[in-house]
Amino acid sequence: MIGWETGYDTLHTTPVFIKDSSEIQRLVWNPFCAQNLAGYLVKSPIVPRGEGSKKIGICVKGCDSRSVVALIQEKLVARDMLFIFGIPCRGVIDLRKLIPNQTGAKILSVRLTDDQVEVEHSKGLQHLAFADVLMRKCKRCRYPDPVIHDVLLGESVLPRIESHELYQDVAAIERLSLQERLAFWQTELDRCLRCYACRNACPLCVCQDRCIAETRDPKWLTQYMNLPEKFMFHFIHALHLAGRCTECGECERVCPMEIPVSLIKEELNKITKELLDFEAGLDLEGVPPLLTFSPAETGI
Amino acid sequence: MGNAIRYIALDKLTRVLGRLSEILDVWVPTASEEKKRLVRFMPYQAGMIPELVEQSTLGPKGALLPQVESLFRFIYEKDPDDASHKRVELEDPVAPKPTLIFGVRPCDARGFLLFDRVFSAGPHIDGLYGARRDLTLLATLVCLEEDAACFCSSVGGGPADRQGSDLWITPIGDGYVVEALNDRALHVMDLLEEPANELQTAAATKVQQEAAERRVGNLICDQSRSNFLQRFDDLNYWQQMAGQCLSCGICTFVCPTCYCFSITDELKGMRGERIRSWDSCMFYTYTLEASGHNPRPTRLERYRNRIGHKFSYIPEKYEGIIGCCGCGRCIRSCPVSIDIRKVVENLEEKAHACA
Amino acid sequence: MHVLSPYRPDLATVQEVIQETATIKTLRIVFDDQKKMQSFSFRPGQVGQLSIFGVGESTFVINSPPTRKEYLQFSIMRVGEVTHRLHQLNHGDQVGVRAPLGNGFDHEAMKGKDILFIGGGIGMAPLRTLLLYMLDNRRDYGDIMVIYGARSPRDLCYQYELDEWKAGGVNLVLTVDNEFPGWKERVGFVPTVLSEESPMPHNRVAIVCGPPIMIKFVLFGLKELGFDDEQIVTTLEKRMKCGVGICGRCNIGSKYVCVDGPVFTRAQLNEMVTEL
Repeated sequence: MIGWETGYDTLHTTPVFIKDSSEIQRLVWNPFCAQNLAGYLVKSPIVPRGEGSKKIGICVKGCDSRSVVALIQEKLVARDMLFIFGIPCRGVIDLRKLIPNQTGAKILSVRLTDDQVEVEHSKGLQHLAFADVLMRKCKRCRYPDPVIHDVLLGESVLPRIESHELYQDVAAIERLSLQERLAFWQTELDRCLRCYACRNACPLCVCQDRCIAETRDPKWLTQYMNLPEKFMFHFIHALHLAGRCTECGECERVCPMEIPVSLIKEELNKITKELLDFEAGLDLEGVPPLLTFSPAETGI
Repeated sequence: MGNAIRYIALDKLTRVLGRLSEILDVWVPTASEEKKRLVRFMPYQAGMIPELVEQSTLGPKGALLPQVESLFRFIYEKDPDDASHKRVELEDPVAPKPTLIFGVRPCDARGFLLFDRVFSAGPHIDGLYGARRDLTLLATLVCLEEDAACFCSSVGGGPADRQGSDLWITPIGDGYVVEALNDRALHVMDLLEEPANELQTAAATKVQQEAAERRVGNLICDQSRSNFLQRFDDLNYWQQMAGQCLSCGICTFVCPTCYCFSITDELKGMRGERIRSWDSCMFYTYTLEASGHNPRPTRLERYRNRIGHKFSYIPEKYEGIIGCCGCGRCIRSCPVSIDIRKVVENLEEKAHACA
Repeated sequence: MHVLSPYRPDLATVQEVIQETATIKTLRIVFDDQKKMQSFSFRPGQVGQLSIFGVGESTFVINSPPTRKEYLQFSIMRVGEVTHRLHQLNHGDQVGVRAPLGNGFDHEAMKGKDILFIGGGIGMAPLRTLLLYMLDNRRDYGDIMVIYGARSPRDLCYQYELDEWKAGGVNLVLTVDNEFPGWKERVGFVPTVLSEESPMPHNRVAIVCGPPIMIKFVLFGLKELGFDDEQIVTTLEKRMKCGVGICGRCNIGSKYVCVDGPVFTRAQLNEMVTEL
């Protein structure tokens, strides 16, 4: 059973793998349960996947459930191997937004009420609206209720935006001139360390151990930390996810340099939706368009 | 030492950094324009606002061990007597320049202490690192406040630990009192505004004493070296502790005591360089052999090696120095919040059970 | 090696290339700096990193003994990018060399003893160094037996000097995996031949090198014959970069294969963590 448990302080949870029913009370659910656990279904050495293994229980939020569907679509995991605990989600808190402009303040405790967050930190007490401290991906969430589940835990939650608002963030960048757009990405990607956390956190990036970013034969990227290398990595990564990315936002959350990498994938998903009318991770029978070939293809 | 204690008022700091950067390369921690909370050490440029209160996400490691560093350059030339034949020449890299890293924390300085041992312990001494190190001054800040992830005192350091530093900076409200800790630092003291008066010096002493009394973190790891070896084959333990690890590499990149590097050749036409670049023991390719065999095939073995390296192998090789400075960066930056303290603490349980 | 930087190679030129087998070539090289060549010293079993500038470096045992210093010899099996390019070198081409690295064999401790070399395939390369060194100091060592096996007769290296070994006083047992037309020597896997030969362990040192599977079964075999762990010596391989014990990568526990090895006794391996 894969779920979340309390981490090193109340603001952090950490994924937990439970094998014994006596450990069930380790599981928690709160707006700090940020990690998308779907990736462990295909990338973890300790999740049993062979014939005759027990079913795997997994806790998913709305966004995570789409990743699970995407994995099933690509036959990376079998539906009947899973028991899915779906949790309708009101959103996950972006820790970086909890202390907006106070430098040096250390968070001491956080109290959550229905739509308020009270933050006690070393420089005082702050009250924030829940809606203001959500992750960017939560603010644009259309599927807070898991799209696949064996049991639903909690009351249904309404989508936070209308479908025509879905790609507002990338549209804002599209409205910039080409020069401004280039400058934006140059500034953001310049901070990239090539730590590959975004790649490893992605549930759909299953070839991470054999990534083209690291192979020397053939050699696609040098070890230089120049912008061209960083652009190459991020755009190839995004292209490999075009039409497959379920916009779970993990790539953006895990980036230690706070680069909004999810925007690149959202742009490609926007194009996929417009051209091919496909949204990743919704329909169990669906096949990502870049994994198909049909001479009768429309939209191109 | 007459001018050995100076005072820099808060509003004079950037002027001082400007003066220092006329004779040295200066590195400072600075917040990103766009992301106000993201602090990294960068080469100082006019206009940069140093961030000396918030802990940096990415420390000053890159100033002494650049993320990409040229080991030497090579140039191919066609043999004038035989065009099908090439000769090669090697050139040393550009020499490093005198540097000052301003706003180092005691935990970061401990990282450099370890680097000094590793790169100079022999039997082969890394003269490239040595040359850079000899030209670098560390100006370290007394650390005033820790957070939930800090544990420097548990691993041999502390908020007022001066080891390895050249200049000692104490914040006293409206400015900084700066002391030279050794002769290497004396030549920059004149550039640091004015001598500190008695009141300022006394205020600094008080702040330092208070910092020295704080014990940050309560991890006990004096038996870790042997406890780790006893736990080595217990894969169940590593599953529990590191099952959630994504094997990404963030911890190694932000860690002040991590120094593993790769060496690659980068060729363009007839010229190129051999560079060393930051590598990570968390990457699959780190130990992947040409035959295809990998002694650390999964994240469990790799995470185990990381703990082993820091709490067992480094202490064994280098007179008991722990390969961790307790800065907490790995804990804060880990996407799945793995807590290295918990992993090290629990190494002991089984050992007691056996005894 | 450069004084300031242990990473900067010395330049050397290929004097001779010998095609040992379909996948193994031997290079004989000489430092471009004559003084360096003359003053160069090393222990049998130490290694060198050969560079193809623009591609990379790889580690190989210095295949010639310190008693024969007209050139430095390296036997190279073609497996990856660097070895591929090393195989394309000809007389007059340059390579980079960083040597000597590693610990070498403890030949002083082997004086007065009988020696058993067990080599498989390219594993004969490090053994050859020590073997020739011992032949050049023949009186210091007792009985020398070599069991050398390969897949087929065409996979045996150093065929041009096997007679020299025998003439130097080596009991040479050659074997290949299967029968081959014209092959008059032994047939069988190395561990099997070892059991058949049954060398006595008393006052003997066994030095084993070859593919992991061969080493595994040879170690069983030696145990059965009564060899204890101090008497068994082998060499380890790991992915290496700096070769000087700094970059962190080639460790097995607290031991770096590039500095504390690549030569280890079985007893030393038993003390190390299980991470091969």
